[in-house]
Amino acid sequence: MREKVILETQNLSKQFGGFVAVEKVNYKLFEGETAGIIGPNGAGKSTFFNLLTGLFPPTEGKILFFNQDITSTQAEHRVELGLVRTFQLVSVFDSLSVIDNLILAVTRFSPIFTNKFRFFFRDAHIKNITERAKEALNRVGLADKSHILTSELSYGDKRKLEIAMALALNPKVLLLDEPFAGLSDVEIKELLNLLHKVKKSLTLIIIEHKISRIVDLVTRLSVMHEGRIIAEGNPKDVLCNETVRRVYWGGESCSVDGITDSSDRRRRP
Amino acid sequence: MRNNFLEIVRKVDILFIGCAFLLLAPVLTVQRTNDFIIFCIFVLAYNLLYGFMGRLSFGHMLYFGVGAYASALTAEHLSANPFAAIAVALVAGAGTGILLGPITVRTTGACFALINLAFNQVGYFLALIALAKWTGGEDGMAAFFDNIWIFDLGNRYVVFGFSLLCLLLVVYIMKRLTSSSFGILLRTIKENETRAKFLGYNTFRYKLAAFVISTTLSAFAGALSIINYTYVTPSFIDTTRNVEVIFASLIGGSASIYGSLVGGISYMIISNYLPKYIQRWEMFLGVALLLLVFRFRSGLWGYISETVEKYALKGARE
Repeated sequence: MREKVILETQNLSKQFGGFVAVEKVNYKLFEGETAGIIGPNGAGKSTFFNLLTGLFPPTEGKILFFNQDITSTQAEHRVELGLVRTFQLVSVFDSLSVIDNLILAVTRFSPIFTNKFRFFFRDAHIKNITERAKEALNRVGLADKSHILTSELSYGDKRKLEIAMALALNPKVLLLDEPFAGLSDVEIKELLNLLHKVKKSLTLIIIEHKISRIVDLVTRLSVMHEGRIIAEGNPKDVLCNETVRRVYWGGESCSVDGITDSSDRRRRP
Repeated sequence: MRNNFLEIVRKVDILFIGCAFLLLAPVLTVQRTNDFIIFCIFVLAYNLLYGFMGRLSFGHMLYFGVGAYASALTAEHLSANPFAAIAVALVAGAGTGILLGPITVRTTGACFALINLAFNQVGYFLALIALAKWTGGEDGMAAFFDNIWIFDLGNRYVVFGFSLLCLLLVVYIMKRLTSSSFGILLRTIKENETRAKFLGYNTFRYKLAAFVISTTLSAFAGALSIINYTYVTPSFIDTTRNVEVIFASLIGGSASIYGSLVGGISYMIISNYLPKYIQRWEMFLGVALLLLVFRFRSGLWGYISETVEKYALKGARE
């Protein structure tokens, strides 16, 4: 039962000087799936995300989104098409209140954005918008913190806020770059619960360093190593793939429990 | 309780600002208060870029000067109607912004500051030498306006009233602009432009809009100062005078409308009265700047509002 391909890369490469960060990646994302990308640090996962979302252009190759070539499309336009991301280092606006962070996201796809007079001159906090912003905050459990300054939030709450902002943009595909990094165990559990809920209604790609966290969440797993995707498929199968075990865990056990700790081992290409 | 009081003050702030300037007039003389008002408009225009969008310009006198020369030239060649002169100045200011904006707003930080300075130097040179035939070069030029209806521009009270109305209008526009979604977007551009892009906003377009609004309002201030002084000299476009508006922004606290006004007035008081007592008064400005940088990062207004908020919080708890 293969569904529709909604995001596809063809021979996607990125070079920084002499260093090849992403090398000829052919990746397909199917509608409705929750895809995971794992790999050691420096494997090119984040660079791959940055290429997909348009932070910088690829050196070579193509990106297709709903069969439309978006290789040279501006980042903000990709958001408009439904490709939304979060950042590895949580990225929210510290100088604004929590609700203002969301108001901007909610406004982007509301009639106010198209009515320039309202966008420029009408108070941003109109009822309809703030209600939707609060709803979005409620979804991630930050409703009671809506009026405090974002810089006063804990790192975990900022992460939730960032995800709320991303969800408020009504994405078709949501790309999460190491969403669990820096969170406490409790926060990770909360976030996992949220993602289990969210994944029912949209397509997700999650980059993760620690595989044990996402193995139950994702429906398909890809492993990146030195800029290439070296294995792909059902998470359990991928973990038992011999090449993967060799480069990633040094070839010990292939059970999820067994790799929890050793996956922490850091490798540089 | 206290917060409610602040809310109410905020709602009638335009009235309050109007009264403040009316009270200043008898203390400082009408002529001087008029200077203050025009300078405050310039500071507000400047702070849309610096305070709200985080782009520090070293060349904003260009846009002020464009407005000044445009209105003076209009008076001489086109029409002696002061409103026509203001209209032409606004168009000239906006035009300069539209022309230079696509180049300047691509840059940030030092590059933005210096690229504006470079354009300002070009403008200064044009006014002083290249176009001296029209601008009068170093001597400048006089501008005579007709009296229209009740606007007898020979009467300094009328000029004062008119400038004050203009300031209140600019404050109103700025209030709307900064509390709108656009205002929030400008603040996000200041903090992290890349992130703003990933919320789906074409930041270039909004930076350009802010730039053009800023240059237009600066030109407006320039035109008003011509109506006030009835002459223009190259000092109206002189790059070195940028320091004034930067200082005013720092003193008042830049990311706020009230801060801009407090800064504008404070700077004008310092620069108008201090020289009477201390000949090299600029040294005092240097010391003041040091104090601001180390002690009052958010300016006078920032300091005041933070203190008030602290007490309001304390009061609410008790």
